Amino acid sequence: MDNIEQLVASLSKEASAVKPAPHPFMLSLRWTIAAAIYLAVSLAISGLRPEFLEKLHNPWLLAELAALLGLFIVTTLSAALLAFPDLHQKRVLAFAPIVPALIFLIVILLAWRADNPPAPLPVHSFECTLSITLMTLLPAVWTFYSMRKFASTHYRLAGSVALLSAFSVGALWLRLHEANDSILHVVEWHYLPMLGIGLLGLWLGKVLLKW
Amino acid sequence: MRQSLAGDQRAYATLLTETTRLLRPFLSKRLRFSNEVDDLLQEILLSIHKARHTYDGKRPYKPWAYAIAKFRLLDHLRAHYSDQLRHAIDFDELEENLHEHVTESEMSYESISGEVQKLPEKQALILQLMHQEGYTAKEVAEKIGMNESAVKVAAHRAYKVLRERLER
Repeated sequence: MDNIEQLVASLSKEASAVKPAPHPFMLSLRWTIAAAIYLAVSLAISGLRPEFLEKLHNPWLLAELAALLGLFIVTTLSAALLAFPDLHQKRVLAFAPIVPALIFLIVILLAWRADNPPAPLPVHSFECTLSITLMTLLPAVWTFYSMRKFASTHYRLAGSVALLSAFSVGALWLRLHEANDSILHVVEWHYLPMLGIGLLGLWLGKVLLKW
Repeated sequence: MRQSLAGDQRAYATLLTETTRLLRPFLSKRLRFSNEVDDLLQEILLSIHKARHTYDGKRPYKPWAYAIAKFRLLDHLRAHYSDQLRHAIDFDELEENLHEHVTESEMSYESISGEVQKLPEKQALILQLMHQEGYTAKEVAEKIGMNESAVKVAAHRAYKVLRERLER
């Protein structure tokens, strides 16, 4: 007990006023605003797909974009909650990304079924995954950097969700930039890599968020 | 906790003491040795100190403190069991190499039997049975009423002592 008493005495001597961490809702709002600015600037530089206005009449593309946006918002919120030891006592919200992920999956499956006759495949392939990954880097860096300031007790899951959130930004950008109607291509080179990114996030979370 | 976050050192000391009281039974139920409980408690207090800015004064304190305690406990148990696993593998390798060393090396059991006799009685007996009479660790365990891993541990310790003495 002596050691513990000594520790308590030394810790309480060190205790000065600390600035409390921001509320996770505020934190996720900051990340969302930063991502929106990043997306807008990227699109301003790279340009929107040429037939964008025309494609707004395609309900499946709209549903896909809305589902992707939903996934981004919920994973961002979840990543912010997972950065706190007790998930800010909002466990249900922290594990909520499973809902938009399921909705996204259903939308993609329905869009795939509706793609009849199938749109022609573009000539490129892995370049899309590479572009999304490159776009993901900056949001991933800022999300991990700010999560490291907190104290995640679910660091693997937090890493995975944070990386999925960043990848959604990249996926949104490419879907708005690239003139491509082939859902098969989109599934294969835009969305399937998300699974790998989720796994990579588990590892990155362990490496970067463990404290 | 709210007072502590504002820099009140006395309130913080009281809070940490109360947290220790709160967490000790929680850890004692899950760990076998009291020194382990003390070590882990200290680690948890340090973690609470490090993460105190993540506590929101509008929420209850206990779930926050327990989340950190549980996190550190799982970390501790993970490290503990992975250590045990690593040792188990070492002992298996040891057993495989055991006979090779005795039969193939230039050093026979007879040449070091003087040193073996200086070992504690049980260790000397185990080495004698394994290397002079050719029993396996399992057979030695049955013969002297110990379990197999305890025989391997004792043999491992004996080799370590012998190696140190012979290298001098």
